[in-house]
Amino acid sequence: MASTVGDRVELFAASLEHRAVTDAAASDAINDSRLVEAARRGDRSAFGRLYDRYARMVHGILLARVPLPDVDDLVQDVFLLALPRLHSLRDITRFGAWLAAIARNRANDYHRQHVEQVELSDEFSAEPGGGPSKSDAPQMEAAAILEVIRSLPEAYRETLLLRLVEGMTGPEIAARTGLTPGSVRVNLHRGMQQLREKLASREKAKM
Amino acid sequence: MRDDYLWDGSGEPDPEIQKLEGVLGRLRHDRPAPAFPEIPMAKPSRRLWQMPAFQFAAAAACVLAIAAGVFMSHQPKPERVSLVAGWNVTRVTGVPRVGTQNLTAQHDKSILINGQVLETDAKSQASIRAEQIGEIDVEPNTIVRLPRGNSGLTRLALDRGTIHASIWAPAGEFVVNTPSAVAVDLGCTYTLHVDDSGGGTLQTTFGWVGFKLGNREAFIPAGAACHTKKNTGPGIPYFEDASEDFRSAIARLDNEGGTGQDRDAALQIVLAKSRKPDSLTLWHLLSRAPESDRTRVYNRLAQLVPPPAGVTREGIMRLDQNMLDLWWNQLGFGDVGLWRHWERTWTDHSASQ
Repeated sequence: MASTVGDRVELFAASLEHRAVTDAAASDAINDSRLVEAARRGDRSAFGRLYDRYARMVHGILLARVPLPDVDDLVQDVFLLALPRLHSLRDITRFGAWLAAIARNRANDYHRQHVEQVELSDEFSAEPGGGPSKSDAPQMEAAAILEVIRSLPEAYRETLLLRLVEGMTGPEIAARTGLTPGSVRVNLHRGMQQLREKLASREKAKM
Repeated sequence: MRDDYLWDGSGEPDPEIQKLEGVLGRLRHDRPAPAFPEIPMAKPSRRLWQMPAFQFAAAAACVLAIAAGVFMSHQPKPERVSLVAGWNVTRVTGVPRVGTQNLTAQHDKSILINGQVLETDAKSQASIRAEQIGEIDVEPNTIVRLPRGNSGLTRLALDRGTIHASIWAPAGEFVVNTPSAVAVDLGCTYTLHVDDSGGGTLQTTFGWVGFKLGNREAFIPAGAACHTKKNTGPGIPYFEDASEDFRSAIARLDNEGGTGQDRDAALQIVLAKSRKPDSLTLWHLLSRAPESDRTRVYNRLAQLVPPPAGVTREGIMRLDQNMLDLWWNQLGFGDVGLWRHWERTWTDHSASQ
């Protein structure tokens, strides 16, 4: 029951902020629409600006689903997939949600084509002649926490990575992905709660 | 405690979140934009067709195409005609049939083109793939068609059997007709089964799917399923991990031939046993239940997920679509705007087309 009360508080808070978030989202959508229109007319720099605005979102979505070493390449894949399809986007104010769907589907496709990889052993495997250097430690810690986040339910995973890795705020996540501010807020709240619990039991296990 | 810092970085900083930001920030995206290729322009306007140069070029192309066709007809047939617009078919087991061609271990590839049928018998399986759309595994005893006039390949018909679809086309582009409803991909992986009566089941494993017949629609997120019947369309979706009682009550509510008493008892079970994720089922019940039962459904759904600002009891009682959509978005299964914005005039059921 506690979580239900907590959820209500979160939803109420989200509803109070909904208007401000919606205004920001509307302004974003207008800017995006201009860029999409320009890109449709063949303006590659406009598409480049869409990349600048959305690359972090695409990166976060992919990071929630595919092995770390492949994420950067797949980000570019997603934009290259989107580029020739810009004309098929019926509602140009929904560019973000459309691109997010392409990213999720690309991740899906990736898993159909690749065998499962164990990221830690691939990316941070011991170098010949010794274990990981001290300078690798923070990167290893980041990868280890990433694994914990990936063990969370899908809805929490993506939102948390956009917030904690990509540095996007909740309103920004909602505006970019097309999710409602309420959903994003609840996902962040519950996801963070679960992440804290998992990290705490991980620490306990280390001791 | 309000998570203001987590939400937008305002309020009192949370040291644990700050630490996570510091560690995880190392993984942040920092690659500059690549050099993008030329952006293809939209299809030419009709006036282009009236230009003499274009007409001449088109006529020349036709002559060349006919000549090439005559030439090719005298050549040995290649195993795979990759330039034909169609779904690439690969045999998995047995002897699946594409049109009149049997696929075997020696000749295991073909292309499913407009108007053709792919059929598997009890011992056959196949896989079909279109680069811009997705990949579909075709189970035994299945009939899949690519309807005529579907040059974009974005519409398949499943007349009977089972397919597992993984779609990477943009949400809303790919649809599967069944004899009783149209399944519209909204970014997902799903299994669709059609039985001999034309009814069937849709189970989503990733993303979500829209299921539609006329004005009757159902949204099925990952982990949920929905039955459909010929002439009635999609039933009420439910999460597959719901209790047996709950699922059996949904089946009774789906069976519209039941008595009033049956329905009342089934509704009572659904309301009593519903958990928070079952708001999926309750939301659909709002528009499916008779008006006399709608208040009970509203009350239970409001307990599980309070209606957001702008949604009133009166509005829901009269099935105001905007309010229903606002409440759906609050459930956390996906933004219905994705469906509304991309909704097209999909043919509802075209197994006979």
